[in-house]
Amino acid sequence: MAVTSLSEGLVDELRGICGHDYVFTGRSARFNRARVPAPFPVHRWDEFVPDAVVLPRAAEQVSEVVKLANRHRVPIVPRAGGTGLTDGAVPLNGGILVDVKLMNEIKDIDLVDRTVTVGPGINMLKLNEELRRHGVIYPDNPASYPCSLVGGRIGTSGWSLIGGRYGHTRDLVISFQIVLPTGEIIEVGDGGGRKVRKSSTGFQLKHLFMGHQGTLGIVTEATLELVPRPEAEFSAFFAYPDYDTAWRSTGALAKSGIATLAGVVLFDERKLAYLRRDDEAYIPQPPEVRSVVATAMYGNADEVRVGAKRLMRIGVETGGNYLGDEISHGDWAARHDRYATPLHGRLRSGQVVPMSWHCEDAAIPYSALPKVREEWHAIADSLMERFEMFDDWGMFAYTNGPYKPWGDYLTEIDIGIWEMQWDDESWAAWVQAKKDISAVALRYGGSITACHGASREGEVDLVPDELGGGWEVMKKVKKALDPHNVMNPGKYLLDEAYEEGES
Amino acid sequence: MADGIAPGAQGESTLTPEFLDEWRNAAYNCYSSGHKFCREVCPVMQVTRDERHTPTTFHANVVAMEKGFLSLDDVAEDYVNCTQCGACELRCPNTLFTGDFYRFRTRTVDLVKAMRSLAVEAGIEQPGWKEWNALTDRYKNEPVLNGQPSLQENVADWAQGLDLPIGGETVLFCDCEAAFYRTSLPRAVARILKHVGYEFGLMREQWCCGGPAAEMGYAEQARRFAEHNVADWRAVGAKRILVLDPHDYIAFTEDYPAYFGDELDFEFVLVVELVAELVNEGKLQLTQPIERVVTYHDACRLNKRKGIHKAPRDILRAIPGLTFKDVDHVTQWSYCSGAGAGFAIERPEVAAEIARRRVDKAAALEIDTLVSACAWSERPLTEQGGKLERPIEVLDLMEIVAQAAGLEVG
Repeated sequence: MAVTSLSEGLVDELRGICGHDYVFTGRSARFNRARVPAPFPVHRWDEFVPDAVVLPRAAEQVSEVVKLANRHRVPIVPRAGGTGLTDGAVPLNGGILVDVKLMNEIKDIDLVDRTVTVGPGINMLKLNEELRRHGVIYPDNPASYPCSLVGGRIGTSGWSLIGGRYGHTRDLVISFQIVLPTGEIIEVGDGGGRKVRKSSTGFQLKHLFMGHQGTLGIVTEATLELVPRPEAEFSAFFAYPDYDTAWRSTGALAKSGIATLAGVVLFDERKLAYLRRDDEAYIPQPPEVRSVVATAMYGNADEVRVGAKRLMRIGVETGGNYLGDEISHGDWAARHDRYATPLHGRLRSGQVVPMSWHCEDAAIPYSALPKVREEWHAIADSLMERFEMFDDWGMFAYTNGPYKPWGDYLTEIDIGIWEMQWDDESWAAWVQAKKDISAVALRYGGSITACHGASREGEVDLVPDELGGGWEVMKKVKKALDPHNVMNPGKYLLDEAYEEGES
Repeated sequence: MADGIAPGAQGESTLTPEFLDEWRNAAYNCYSSGHKFCREVCPVMQVTRDERHTPTTFHANVVAMEKGFLSLDDVAEDYVNCTQCGACELRCPNTLFTGDFYRFRTRTVDLVKAMRSLAVEAGIEQPGWKEWNALTDRYKNEPVLNGQPSLQENVADWAQGLDLPIGGETVLFCDCEAAFYRTSLPRAVARILKHVGYEFGLMREQWCCGGPAAEMGYAEQARRFAEHNVADWRAVGAKRILVLDPHDYIAFTEDYPAYFGDELDFEFVLVVELVAELVNEGKLQLTQPIERVVTYHDACRLNKRKGIHKAPRDILRAIPGLTFKDVDHVTQWSYCSGAGAGFAIERPEVAAEIARRRVDKAAALEIDTLVSACAWSERPLTEQGGKLERPIEVLDLMEIVAQAAGLEVG
């Protein structure tokens, strides 16, 4: 039953390293580690299947597997939760898939220096279930909070819904251990010192390995920030008659300087129309409500109480109507469960069909949001005109800065995709649309991606444009650290680093 | 590099059109989501951390099979890794946010049962389940006595000395584990009901409810056992069936209606709910103080599958002397004893680890007694509770109620 293109001898070596019960070559084990929630060409599923899967339990095992891969020149693909919205964990060239989910232990809770050290396979919700009894939390809070894992958060340089208050993954991971593409195990942080938050020693290597999409190694341990479990949460939703008013109000709220403000989220008119049409969990609002802004604050009760008064005043003074406690508290509390919202969309006939939620996630300066919004919807409209399997679910813009909710915005257009219908033509159109969406982001001074990564087909073509001279450095770094190109080959166009003429 | 896969590349589906009609949309609804919120509440996944043991895989396999990428041979073993506790269904965003509107509910448990049945029909059998169901078929009761046959002539031995009649309008169905292993449970139930003057009898020939066979994929056998039990109930004039175990309750309220439709004209009464009612109405006085510090284990098939979590807590709160350290029923979605759906037969080590983790959570509450309302959970929890530095005793809720009512237990 176990058919792989790896030699039986190599599989035996993997078993020798990881243990017989932790190496899988069966078809189901491999097919079910081929995809992630990002749009996936299901009709070509077999092109993305690894040849063997290992579930290591220690960094030393990971290191030995990587060294073995180097000896045999076999690709390695790291996988944590497999919940990413780009394709970091999708094998493009088969090989050995290193699944780190069993490395999910909590190794050290340090309440004095305020850190927790964990394996990369742990989930944030599960971690916080343990931490809460100590009065602290790890505040990395993406929409995928109940299912994504710390290793993947580092691999994608994740973004947190409450990052405006607490920072994002790169700010919250203090240091980590990583197995390099050649098998060496190293510790990286801002400088040295596993629990040091700020250092000026040497290069800032932590950031080099943030968001590498599995191309620069495999994280095997991480030391994370602990913050006091907030005494108070305050969320307020405001309604507006049009997008422009809501956009101006968003700017005012974000720039308010309220220290406990964790984030401001702007829902555009098409988002509201979609929620009204198809999200029965969304509490209905009067038809004159065309745009909504959500805000959330966290902190000590006395601080939040005072901040909330100021926030409410700004919201109302800038044209917002408070939507009431039910939607403000209910909708915010349900934010994780509602990621991907209703999971169905409609054909033009009105027929409901199961659709995957997909969101593009560029970082866009505040000033450019209205223009980008227009151009992105036009791209989605063009897709929908040609293919019934796409449905524009509207846009969100979230404050994107760590510790300060102003400046640029994680700007998201949600597109429902009826993935049962993929064929080569629709896939090609989708890839082109993604490229067009990314091009708009760059034209307005933004970045292709605020949180998912930019390694997918279509957008990845524009990564050299976005990074400029930095792209050349990126290739040099890749080739220096991974001389045999075994670590997640094919991703991020980094195969170019090994082409003739590249040095 | 993926050329090893090529021979199995997209081809003909190995699933029948009828199967696909029932499961295609459900499979795509899950496949489309990719959320995997189900994963960290799954008792099996929490231990194995293997992506094959997730509802995502259970559904994605159907997609892959429809597309011809995978065959039943490839996936059959995946479906062994489920206790059918139902946590994933509750945690699924498709259930949470579209269920009411579209009358849709993620039905992972039914999918697992359906795939296990397909496998058995195709001759892909798991050795432990094959033997277990063969022995059940031979002796009419599950082989719960570790190799010793559960003979039909002994099925009512638990009731010795209790002077219970056969038949009548109300009949008590005693689960295999309770009838042959944890006999203190049905004896406690019988004494409680007699104490309050609640009339009931036993079946003439009680066979296993058939639920476990259905859970393990032996659908034909399950149906045969159900037909026997229904015939026996009719023969003794039963109108109401008292059910003391949650697993049987699932079989009677989910499997039996699917077999018999409207012809199934019995009322199924869960003993826990009946006793809660008796206590609430003052018909059952709990006067004997029980000096124990307890927590309650939400049986999966009550809490997660049937939404029954209040009645057992009402009962515990009515017992004098008891210190009850409760953990809310939603937190307990991620708890399990590992005992369901034949999982422990095929994967005893993982099942034991699930039970160990459950008992560890209880121990963190500094209790001396873990109270359950599910006979099947009590053996593995007792085993793990006994291994603790400060051992935890496991009691059935009805055993503790009998004590509190001043009745003999055992």
